[in-house]
Amino acid sequence: MSVGVDRTLIWLSARQLLAKRRALLALGLSLIPMVVALAFRMLVSDASGSSGDFLIGLARDLVIGALLPLTAVLFGTTAFGGDIEDGTLLYLLLKPVARWRVVLWKYVVAVLCTAAVMVPAVLLPWLVVRGPDLPIQVPLSLLAGLGVGSALYCAGFLALGAWTRRALVVGLLYVVTIEMTLSRNLTGVKSISAREFSLAISQKLLGNSAALVDKPVTTATIWTMGTLMLVVGVGLTIWKVRAYEAAERL
Amino acid sequence: MTAIELRRASRWYGNVVAVNDVSCTLGPGITGLLGPNGAGKSTVLHMMAGLLQPSAGEVLIDDVPAADDASIYRRLTLVPERESTYGFLTGREFVRMSARLQRLPDADDAATRVIRLVELEGAQDRKIGTYSKGMRQRIKVAAALVHEPDVVLLDEPFNGMDPRQRIHMMGVLREEAARGRVIVISSHILEELNDLADNVLVMIAGRLAASGHYRAIRRLMTDRPHTFMIRSSDDRRLAATLLSDASVIGVELSANGGASSGGIVVRTSERSTLTHHLPRAARDAGIRLLEIRPTDESLESVFSYLVDR
Repeated sequence: MSVGVDRTLIWLSARQLLAKRRALLALGLSLIPMVVALAFRMLVSDASGSSGDFLIGLARDLVIGALLPLTAVLFGTTAFGGDIEDGTLLYLLLKPVARWRVVLWKYVVAVLCTAAVMVPAVLLPWLVVRGPDLPIQVPLSLLAGLGVGSALYCAGFLALGAWTRRALVVGLLYVVTIEMTLSRNLTGVKSISAREFSLAISQKLLGNSAALVDKPVTTATIWTMGTLMLVVGVGLTIWKVRAYEAAERL
Repeated sequence: MTAIELRRASRWYGNVVAVNDVSCTLGPGITGLLGPNGAGKSTVLHMMAGLLQPSAGEVLIDDVPAADDASIYRRLTLVPERESTYGFLTGREFVRMSARLQRLPDADDAATRVIRLVELEGAQDRKIGTYSKGMRQRIKVAAALVHEPDVVLLDEPFNGMDPRQRIHMMGVLREEAARGRVIVISSHILEELNDLADNVLVMIAGRLAASGHYRAIRRLMTDRPHTFMIRSSDDRRLAATLLSDASVIGVELSANGGASSGGIVVRTSERSTLTHHLPRAARDAGIRLLEIRPTDESLESVFSYLVDR
C-alpha cells in the first residue's frame, strides 16, 4: 500500500474534521479551562497553595468529565456520519483502496483531533496556575489519561456515526446520561466508562496523592474493557463501511 | 477489448424490485441508459460499478464479477448523480486527491490535464462549495477521468449544465469513446443522447424494455399512436368529421356528451397529419375549436407504450 494513499486519506480526514465551524468550536472548547484558570488566578492569591487542588479538580470535572467526551462526540460522529449522509463516501469507495483502510485513518485522525484539543485544555491552565507543587509531570500525566480516553471515546462515536443518522444527538445523550451521571455513581458503569479509565490512568501516573478519583478502576479492567471497546467500536465501523451499498432511494 | 455484461441481473430492496432480470452486453463506445425516474437506471449503474451486489444473476466486467474487488477501480469509474462533493476542497484539490488515491506517479500533471479537459482552469482554485451545479458536474467528471479508466459510468451527467457546457461535455465523452473506452450514460431525456449514444437501452420499472440505435428508439417513440382531448362548439359533428380522416384511429365522446359537451378523445396514428387537418376540417364544418390538449405526452406514457408494445 502506497504511503501517498495513506497520506491523502489522513489529509482529507483532517480537512473534513477541521472544516471552519468545527475547528472554531474545538478551539473554543480548548480555551475554556484557561479562562477558568485565569479567573482562579485573579481571585485566589499565589500564597494560598491551592493551585494543585484547583488544577486536579479542573482536570477531573471540566476537562476529563466534560470537554473530552464532548470533543470526541464532535469529531468521532462526524468522521463518517457526514460522508454516509450526503453520499461523499462514494468518492473514497470508488478508489482502489481497501475500505478498512479508509476507516482506520478516519479513526486515527478523529483521535488526534480530539487529543489535540486536550493539549491546550490542560497545558494552558497549568501555565496559568503553575507553582512548585505543579511540576510538568502533572499535565503530562493528565494528558496520558486523556489520550487513552480520546482513543476509546472516538472508537464508540465513530461507530455511532456510521450506524445512525442521529449520531450527534445519541452521542450527546450518552455523554450526559452515562458519562456525566451514571458512571460517577454506579460501580458497574465505571468499568465501561472511558472517563473512569482516563481518571484511573492519570491517577496511577500521578501517584495516589492526587485526588482525581476515590476508587480508580483497576489496570486489568482498563486493559480488558478498553481493548474490547476499541475493537468493537472500530470493528463495527469497518463492518458497516464494508457492507455499505450506494442504495438508490426508492 | 473491455466489456460489461449483465446476465439476468436483478436487484431488490425488501419487497421492492428495482432491477428485474436484465441481460445485456456493452462494449466500447457510448451506450445510453434511458428511462423515467425510478426506472432502475442508477441501480444498474451501481451494480456495474460494483457498489451493489445483484440479488440474482451476475454483473461482469471482462468476465470478472464487478463487486467485492476494489482493484477494479483502477479501470472503472462512476460519476454519481448526487450533487454532493467535498465543498471545503478546491476543484484542483478534489481532482488531485482522486489522482493520488489512484496512485498516479504525477498527480499534479494528471489533475491539470483533466481540469483543462472540462474547461475549469479558471475556477480550479475556488472551493467546490462555491461552484454552480454544472461546474460541480464537470469537476466530478474530471476527478473520474483523471486515471484514464477503461470503463466510465455517468449517472445523469448533464444535470445542471447549460447548453454550451452540455455540448462541450458531449465532445469530451465522444473523444473518450473514440479511444476505445466503454461509456455508459444514464438519462431520462432521449434528446440528451442524440448524436451521442450509438446504442440506447430503455429501462422501465426495472426491466429492459427496448434496446437499439438511437434513431430506432426515437422512431419507436414518435411513431406511436397519440391521443388528444378536443373541446369544440359541436363535439358530435367534429367527431363525425374527424372519422373521415385516415390518420384517425378512433374517436370517443366524453361520458356526459351533448352537442357541445366535455369534449372528445381522438386517437391518431400520425400526430402531424391530425394537427394539420384538424383546424381546416373544423373551419370547413363551421365548428369552433375551444381546446386541444395532448393527453399522453408525459415521459411515463411514452415509456409505458414501449412496455406494452
